[in-house]
Amino acid sequence: MFNSRVTRILLALPACLILIQPATQATQSGASAIKIAFETYTLPNGLTVILAPDHTTPTVAVDVWYHVGSKNETVGRTGFAHLFEHVMFTGSGHVPYGIHDKLTEGVGGSNNGTTSNDRTTYYETVPSNYLEDQLWLESDRMGYLLDALDLAKLNAQRDVVKNERRQSMDNQPYGRAFEILAQATYPEGHPYSWDVIGSMSDLSAASEEDVKNFFRLYYAPNNTILTIVGDFETAQTKAWVTKYFGDIPRGKPVTRPIVPTVILEKEIRLVYEDRVQVPRLYIQWPTIGEKDDDRFALDVLSGILTGPRTARLTKALVYDQQAAASVNAFQNSNEDVGDFGVIITPRPDHSLTDLEAAADVVIDKLKADGPTAEEIQRATAGIELSFVSGLQSNLGKAFTLADGMGFHNDAGYFKMEYQKTLAVTPADVKRVANQYLTKGRVILSIVPLGKLDQASKPGQSRRVGGGGR
Amino acid sequence: MTTPRTAFRARTAAFATAAALMLLLVAPRAQQALDRTKIPPAGPAPVLHVPVWTKSTLANGAELIVSEKHDLPLVSFTITFLGGASQFEPAGRQGLANLTASMMSEGTKTRNGEALSSALQLLGTNVSVSIGAESGSIGFQATSGKFAPTLDILADMLLNSTFPADALERLRGQRLVALAQARVQPNSIASRVFPRLLYGASHPYGQFVTEDSYKAITRDDVVTLHDAYFQPGRALVTIVGDVSAATVKSTIDKALAAWPKGGTKPNFAFPALPAPHATTIYLVDKPGAAQSTFAIGNPGPPRATPDYYALSVMNTILGGMFQSRLNANIREDKGYSYGVSSSFAYGKGPGPFRAGGDIVSAKTDAALVEFMKELGGIEGARPVTDEELTTAKDSLIQRLPGQFASVQGINNAITTIWIQGLPDDYYRQYQQKIAAVTKDDILRVAKQHIDLDHLAIVIVGDKASIAGPLKATGIAPIVSVDIDGKIGG
Repeated sequence: MFNSRVTRILLALPACLILIQPATQATQSGASAIKIAFETYTLPNGLTVILAPDHTTPTVAVDVWYHVGSKNETVGRTGFAHLFEHVMFTGSGHVPYGIHDKLTEGVGGSNNGTTSNDRTTYYETVPSNYLEDQLWLESDRMGYLLDALDLAKLNAQRDVVKNERRQSMDNQPYGRAFEILAQATYPEGHPYSWDVIGSMSDLSAASEEDVKNFFRLYYAPNNTILTIVGDFETAQTKAWVTKYFGDIPRGKPVTRPIVPTVILEKEIRLVYEDRVQVPRLYIQWPTIGEKDDDRFALDVLSGILTGPRTARLTKALVYDQQAAASVNAFQNSNEDVGDFGVIITPRPDHSLTDLEAAADVVIDKLKADGPTAEEIQRATAGIELSFVSGLQSNLGKAFTLADGMGFHNDAGYFKMEYQKTLAVTPADVKRVANQYLTKGRVILSIVPLGKLDQASKPGQSRRVGGGGR
Repeated sequence: MTTPRTAFRARTAAFATAAALMLLLVAPRAQQALDRTKIPPAGPAPVLHVPVWTKSTLANGAELIVSEKHDLPLVSFTITFLGGASQFEPAGRQGLANLTASMMSEGTKTRNGEALSSALQLLGTNVSVSIGAESGSIGFQATSGKFAPTLDILADMLLNSTFPADALERLRGQRLVALAQARVQPNSIASRVFPRLLYGASHPYGQFVTEDSYKAITRDDVVTLHDAYFQPGRALVTIVGDVSAATVKSTIDKALAAWPKGGTKPNFAFPALPAPHATTIYLVDKPGAAQSTFAIGNPGPPRATPDYYALSVMNTILGGMFQSRLNANIREDKGYSYGVSSSFAYGKGPGPFRAGGDIVSAKTDAALVEFMKELGGIEGARPVTDEELTTAKDSLIQRLPGQFASVQGINNAITTIWIQGLPDDYYRQYQQKIAAVTKDDILRVAKQHIDLDHLAIVIVGDKASIAGPLKATGIAPIVSVDIDGKIGG
């Protein structure tokens, strides 16, 4: 996920992202606290609106969620959805460049945008007396961006995005790992086979015409969710929403890309030389996305494998054998597909080959025996605190509601997530471990320049260069 | 909120077109067509609500502050200690304070490391311990139902840790790997080299962890630092959230009953700064780097400076916001970077002023010219405008309520004023102090605290391609340094 602005603090999202969840009963106070009061409605032009008033703090968050991301790009234009996100900050028909920052940061608030494979979202947090200004700003770029399109500003943002790529990937130790893994996991041309940031040559190729076509196709109210959370008066806010967004014309229906599920027939072994001092091992399996309930068991599985010192891989590799400096496992659920990853950083004198074998021993044992009920309980007991703590952030609540609406057509989906995570059993975890953590996986070794021999099973690993293929 | 009318009028033609289009779209109600050219006026400003708290003292002398907030079943609990690594680490033992903090999760007299970890996982929380340069803390956030049992575990970690020798070896090994990784990370390199060049190796601000300092640390060092440091005489206990001030004190007194009196607040004394050098470019070679990482600056004032408010406004204009002069120029106008900024570190001593960011290698020279232009600009070459002054003040004053939105935010607000010795009504005075800053103040503090003749300009990048162009700018002589800031490296 990439931000259009200098990365600022992104508040931890309630529950939905880090779902490491409780098998057992939540406390009484917690169970009653798993709620967000909200209402939803749709304007005649198709704009979905979610309102969640909360008067605890005199601030308000506005989030505009467009159902378009890097998976909607075409080959030869990778990175375009994110570059477009930057263009959305260059001013619009009635909003000169700079006013947006002045009416957010300049009044004690903030603004930003992020692009993922699946969606692009823009948001502001401001003192609540500036809410109407945010609706004016957001509606103007939704309705009138092209009236103010400026080629010089597009080109400056193209350079900014290239620098974002350099800063987060090319000039960062291990920075290219996920781009290489995506290219290896998904077949050429698959909508998830390229990274959100895109390639330098595709960023150079993006034209003014591309911007216009992309805007007309995807930035229409019928492809968009507007969420407002915080200290506002509902009737007045509804009137403002109609006033500013009501006259933006509906766009054509959006066709979603067809995203095939991926199963790797055999193991793919890769090695990449980088400006690093310590090698690192990445293991990645293609799994399922946001809409498949197996993700709850996969989330719990990741918490059983790594995290606290009692987690199986952490205990074996970092504590008992002291062969690794760190190990992290995660299930990454996108809208249509997902992946399960393990990242291992070795201690000196321990080879990636040995660490891969040691990790497989732990994973194979879990696949054979399944976890205990107590392991599930430990891995999920933090969900209540994570959710309740997240309720303190207007912006965090807005993201939760908008993602639920966008991906599940239900702003209240967080309740389902909470319950489904609580319902995960040892048998579920055993089943998903066997179903997804198979031999069909990608093993990527990142090694210091000239040290190909430090790869895991170097003789069997294919070297990847700039393109990753 | 005022807006630049002149900039607005520049768009008049575009407005007319859009307005005409809109008339067609909403023809039946054309007489009510929305005039999008008008910025909606802000509503009346919300009344500033600063959290209230009550102060008392525990039996062992630790200070106690309780702030109630009952909208959610949440508690934030922290014990904060005045002083840190700079006051408590012996010479040559950099990294000891940080390791000692980590060792407190490795087991107590009645729970080994795994038992501690399991107990906290089942409570759905975690107790974190950290010791920074000038303060440290042990604390947690919990749902209110889990507050008392979590506090009991915290007390066990604070008072009964056993510091197993094998755990120290494991942690040392992990830290050495992290250090090796940091030695190739451009920002980590800049963050070691820049303060070393400003303060020298014998000033605490110029010191950093090394392989040697990690290897020198013994278990005895850990026990000694722990016993000296975690003392109630330099501690503030804060509880914010869903608790009753009337009853929580006895809960805490009971949980911490075995913590005996002891310790005093440390004296923050710093050695004299080394004599400043004329402005110099210190180049750290990173062959093939795609970007050059910049850190430009000099030692700054401590947090206690009376210039704090003027400096806050000045830095907001210079490099503290997205539309600050540095970012508006170097990122938004030129596209040389994903973002540049500036800041003062403040603290108890003369923390650095630092401006910088990551610049595409081919524009290293051009970016340095722009950095120097903006530093010179804020010192008078480009006077601050009324609009810049108003926006910076509005930005600082109106962000205050958002800091009190969470129990953690309120806890941080309370501990910050305690650590820095600021008055209890600090947040109530803040608006007035910021509002009083004038353009003359800004010019004066910029000149006083950013010394254009004695800047250290650290650049981590591809020497072969950037040294020549940097030299051609004529801005300052170039000296090569290694990744530990050693000259000639």
